[in-house]
Amino acid sequence: MLLSFATALGKFGGFLSRLTKRGSGVMVSGRIILKIVPHAVSKLSQGKSVVLISGTNGKSTTTALIYKSLSTKKPTVSNYTGANLFAGIATALIDNRKAEFAALEVDEMVLPWAIQQTQPKVIVLLNLGRDQLDRLSEVRVVAAKWKSALATLSPACKVLADADDPFVTWAARDLVNVIWFTSGTTGHMDASTCPECGVVLNWSADKSTYSCECGFRKPSPEWILRENVLTGPNNQKASIVSAIPGKAALSNAARAVITASLFGVSLADSSAVISKVSSVDGRFGLLKISLTNFRLLLSKNPASWRETLATSASGPQSLLLVVNAQTQDGKDTSWLWDVDFSPLKGRTVFVTGDRRLDVSARLTVAEIDHQITENESSAAKIIGNNDADLIASYTAFHRLAKGVKR
Amino acid sequence: MSLKIVHLLPELLGTYGDQGNVEILSWRLRKRGIDHEILVVHSQDKVPTNGDLYLLGGGEDDAQIAAVNILNRGGSLRKAHNNGAHFFAVCAGFQLLGASFPASGGRTIEGLGILPVETIAASPRSVGELISTPTIDITTLTGFENHGGQTRLLEDVQALGNVTHGVGNGLESKIDGVVTDQIVATYMHGPAFARNPELADWILARKVGVLNQIDAPIFTQLHDERIKNAR
Ligand SMILES: [Zn+2]
Repeated sequence: MLLSFATALGKFGGFLSRLTKRGSGVMVSGRIILKIVPHAVSKLSQGKSVVLISGTNGKSTTTALIYKSLSTKKPTVSNYTGANLFAGIATALIDNRKAEFAALEVDEMVLPWAIQQTQPKVIVLLNLGRDQLDRLSEVRVVAAKWKSALATLSPACKVLADADDPFVTWAARDLVNVIWFTSGTTGHMDASTCPECGVVLNWSADKSTYSCECGFRKPSPEWILRENVLTGPNNQKASIVSAIPGKAALSNAARAVITASLFGVSLADSSAVISKVSSVDGRFGLLKISLTNFRLLLSKNPASWRETLATSASGPQSLLLVVNAQTQDGKDTSWLWDVDFSPLKGRTVFVTGDRRLDVSARLTVAEIDHQITENESSAAKIIGNNDADLIASYTAFHRLAKGVKR
Repeated sequence: MSLKIVHLLPELLGTYGDQGNVEILSWRLRKRGIDHEILVVHSQDKVPTNGDLYLLGGGEDDAQIAAVNILNRGGSLRKAHNNGAHFFAVCAGFQLLGASFPASGGRTIEGLGILPVETIAASPRSVGELISTPTIDITTLTGFENHGGQTRLLEDVQALGNVTHGVGNGLESKIDGVVTDQIVATYMHGPAFARNPELADWILARKVGVLNQIDAPIFTQLHDERIKNAR
């Protein structure tokens, strides 16, 4: 009763927020509900089959793809637009009270709470890496939080975990119902020591596997993605097509297909739906500034920059980097020196954002020709009537994504 | 004779972009046509004792302990120091050159004992812009610091800078880092040489003599902008 009232009030609050143009309404609704009924998420998840998706990179894309797949079968709710904290999760759940499935993206630090509140049917653990070290914890601290939260799971819950990532492996290795996945990702920027015992971790020469004298090692995966072919137990096979470019997107599509199969969606059905999704919440969306057609890419941390630069390599000649260091971006830009910018050699590079001087110093030492501009518009004036990639850090991306045609 | 720069354990001591310092040194030498080689030492490699300049960066707890164990093997780093090598050490690299440093679970780990300093656990973490007035003849220093430990000087050694913004060595000392005949240590990452080209050249000049100027205003612009915006 109280929950219905809170839900109605929350929806009304969200409506007001949109009406007064103060926000998208997402956070407002959730905050009102949680204020009135603190355990609302627990109550709202009852009777729903919930999948939680967490990790440093790829949450929104994977969640969106899972949402689209599950929606082919049953009414589904989701928060794939990135509102992945307490209020965002609550808001997603009231979106359609009759929904039978919920695909919820969860911030890494909020995962323990979400597990306890939603009693999920499936959890998808993507990866753990360095992210905004000035305000978030060390990677192994996050992994330890995951490990103790996962230890409380009901044995009925299945966990799809990335065997390529030593931190994910360590967090999930004691679970009975774990499903290991590999997409052949090699190495890990932050896993030089063993998450279990702290000594130097042994990586194979090709960086495809890891092991430690304490017994910690890469598990053998049940689901394997090679090129675009996904194979699983009992000779299950699917070919994965992603309209979103890049290797990470293909892995996320594969994870979505596997997850959907746990909800009774056939591999063929989900891969067909997924192959049509070309942009999630502005990522890879098109943004026109003056005469220039920008393709918008998000980069948040060293791992995602590496991925984005690789993806952009097959893109247009011109490229604009927009780097800020506000609270949500992380105020420390030292990670710029952990990213190999050499893939940008030979392209026409422009640099802007609050921290354009940091980026320019980095590119200068990497011997990459570039030009600093005042803002995106001044870069567009030079690029003119051409296509260009625009890689932006968090705050710049979210400001620019509002202008993307949906 | 080629200047031998040794980049120590980037996979263990490279959490905060400090490998950038190696790239920047190499770039500054290249621009001046000074012959040099970069030797990257990984955890399974032998640590050379005949290098000219050794660089150590920042790292997390376990990595810092693993690093000190490797650098202690055969007393190699101490031998290098006895051979007259110079060092530039940042954050965890600074701490592990000292007598001891703290680790998770209240542990105290023995350092290499090359620098007369000790580091103790302190809370809260020191995170943010760090600015100091150097005790050596270069312009104001700027960096970004992020460390849990705070460092005490055990003998009368010279600080690198007097802190005007941020924490640095902490323990209410208002100083950052240490300078000796052979060692420059600091809590500034950022990395330090990107924001402080004069510090990079000061350290190089001690090894290779007088350096000519490089025409690269970007580093000075970055230096000035960081100092202006930190305040
Ligand atoms: Zn181990």
